[in-house]
Amino acid sequence: MNNLQQQSRWFENLLEANSDSLNLRAADGLSGIHVQAQQALSDLPVPDRRQESWRYSDLGKLYRQMFRISGEAFDALQETDIDQWIYPKQDSYRLVMVNGQLAAHLSHVSGLDKRITLDGISQLSATERQGVAAYLQQHGGFADDTFGQINRALMQDGFYLRVPQNTVVDKPIEVVFVNLSHDEQLLSQPASLIILEPGARAQVVERYLSLGSSEYFFNGMTDILLREHAELRHQRIQQESSQAYHLSRVGLRQQAASIYQGLTIASGGAWSRNDIQVHLDGPHAECDLQGVYTVGDGQYNDIHLDVAHNAADCRSQENFRGVVHGRGKAVFDGRILVAKDAQKTDAQLSNKNLLLVEDAEVNTKPQLEIYADDVKCSHGTTVGKVNPDQLFYLRARGIDEQQAYRMLCLGFADQVLASIEDQAVRQHVHAMFNRLL
Amino acid sequence: MLSIKDLHVSVEDKTILQGLNLEVKGGEVHAIMGPNGSGKSTLAHILSGREGYQVDQGEVLYQGHDLFDLEIEERAQQGIFLAMQYPVELPGVNNLSFLRESLNSIRRARGEAELDAAAFMRLAREKAALVELPDKLLKRDVNSGFSGGEKKRNEILQMALLEPQLAILDETDSGLDIDALRVVANGVNALRSPERGMIVVTHYQRLLDYIEPDYVHVLAQGRIVRSGDKTLAYELEEKGYGWILQEHAA
Repeated sequence: MNNLQQQSRWFENLLEANSDSLNLRAADGLSGIHVQAQQALSDLPVPDRRQESWRYSDLGKLYRQMFRISGEAFDALQETDIDQWIYPKQDSYRLVMVNGQLAAHLSHVSGLDKRITLDGISQLSATERQGVAAYLQQHGGFADDTFGQINRALMQDGFYLRVPQNTVVDKPIEVVFVNLSHDEQLLSQPASLIILEPGARAQVVERYLSLGSSEYFFNGMTDILLREHAELRHQRIQQESSQAYHLSRVGLRQQAASIYQGLTIASGGAWSRNDIQVHLDGPHAECDLQGVYTVGDGQYNDIHLDVAHNAADCRSQENFRGVVHGRGKAVFDGRILVAKDAQKTDAQLSNKNLLLVEDAEVNTKPQLEIYADDVKCSHGTTVGKVNPDQLFYLRARGIDEQQAYRMLCLGFADQVLASIEDQAVRQHVHAMFNRLL
Repeated sequence: MLSIKDLHVSVEDKTILQGLNLEVKGGEVHAIMGPNGSGKSTLAHILSGREGYQVDQGEVLYQGHDLFDLEIEERAQQGIFLAMQYPVELPGVNNLSFLRESLNSIRRARGEAELDAAAFMRLAREKAALVELPDKLLKRDVNSGFSGGEKKRNEILQMALLEPQLAILDETDSGLDIDALRVVANGVNALRSPERGMIVVTHYQRLLDYIEPDYVHVLAQGRIVRSGDKTLAYELEEKGYGWILQEHAA
């Protein structure tokens, strides 16, 4: 059996290993999505290095392991187990998903405006669930990707947020994805959906934590629809162990004059990849993607952004910074597509990397594909080391070398983090980087 | 406090200092003057521990110990302060956090308690008033977008906070207009004390109108070719460096 056959077999095995769990526990109204995804899978190529989008990715590490959806109940898990990772604790509505499934006893949404839906997909009424499934089947992101379809083929739960027209959610919504795996290699694969109706506004903070000691594979997707003039602030903070295999996807569709402000904090794992796909489908939509990623020893951390300007007069900005503090590998791939009719597009892309070690690898690839003729687009990428003059300045003021490095790294990252309006989130990320670097 | 004996220093095989001798005692202000390329900044850098310089010969004793045994941060912790000619910008590093980290690093090294945020703020505001540095510059990133004068005032603010034993001012007057020069000089003068030694490196006599030195040394071709009191500075201002260099060559 050659490599390709082995990899193809891996996906078959993954489906097979989890089919029992699917039959036992999947909620009503999802079988259509399961069947459609399984059919799609047979026509999709197995991700490997021959495909451009997986060119730098060492999937071999992942394909050598097998992962299973957990059937365990998590009653023993307590709020304090989660809160110790989150500083400071936020005044928020909170959903906790453990290994991809809603843990109701850890979630609290009391006080939430009754017109707003915020729940696990497994908890919705059959009609609502069918509505969610229908959206994901027709408009969900990553339909042309094997891992995307695996997420659908084994879909059991995820979170669903719907904010009705002209409604503002009064507190941040936190969704905490806890990965808890002991002794067995678990598969966690939430499929979530956020819909903001015209003029609605919300802030969603997605957090990814590891509480166990074993390896696991998180293969999560969040689809988002922002209708006219809707506004979403969306922070995704990955804070997982070095045992994590983390693949998370955001499939975002924006209608006219909607605003998306996204922040991605990716602190890596054994293998980590973040994909954000954006379709700007109505005029005057604005999309702001900011992010910081870090790479430590032996880590692989990959960011793929794909912004499609399908309508005129939209603005997009991508601003990502990487701190490479160990012998690992970073990948940044930022693509901007401007369709023929998307005149007056304003699209900016920036990726800067700070290398603290010699034996590390950074692959940064900006791509602009422009088919309109009246646009303002720019991109810039850099890979650099710590400036010795800056290091000297700090040390000459009595600050020891290690702390001076840490301050310069945080300063480098903070030029992105400064854009976070939510001070609690900003403090949390600061504390996290302080521990990490 | 500081004793430099027969110091020879080179940069990338080019000899810069060739047998420099200097003694600085507590309470003294020494001005080091000299033409461009005479080695003034090299002297300031080698004392602060900047990398890229090689000591070929001689010794420097600071408070009786070999200065070259100390890392850059250890020198600062033991009381050496260099006010830089070109203070670097630190984007993303907040000025107040930096000042507090610096002061607390030095206090820790001296076995003193760290200052908490409130105590530090009071102290920082008090010292900032001394150099007329506006509050908003304390809240900005270190030196980022500061004018030349603001950067130099931020240097003197650091000196005021850290209260060094030995302060070295490297061309602190360069790029300053007369008002900024007066503010900076007032800040420095307020820090003169019987325990504190100062080395003021400058190209022009102008700064010495405001900071009166006890001694003036002329550095040329890597060594001190003449020493005197402050009247030597006026003589230099009047006649330039040429006559001393000629006398020295003769």
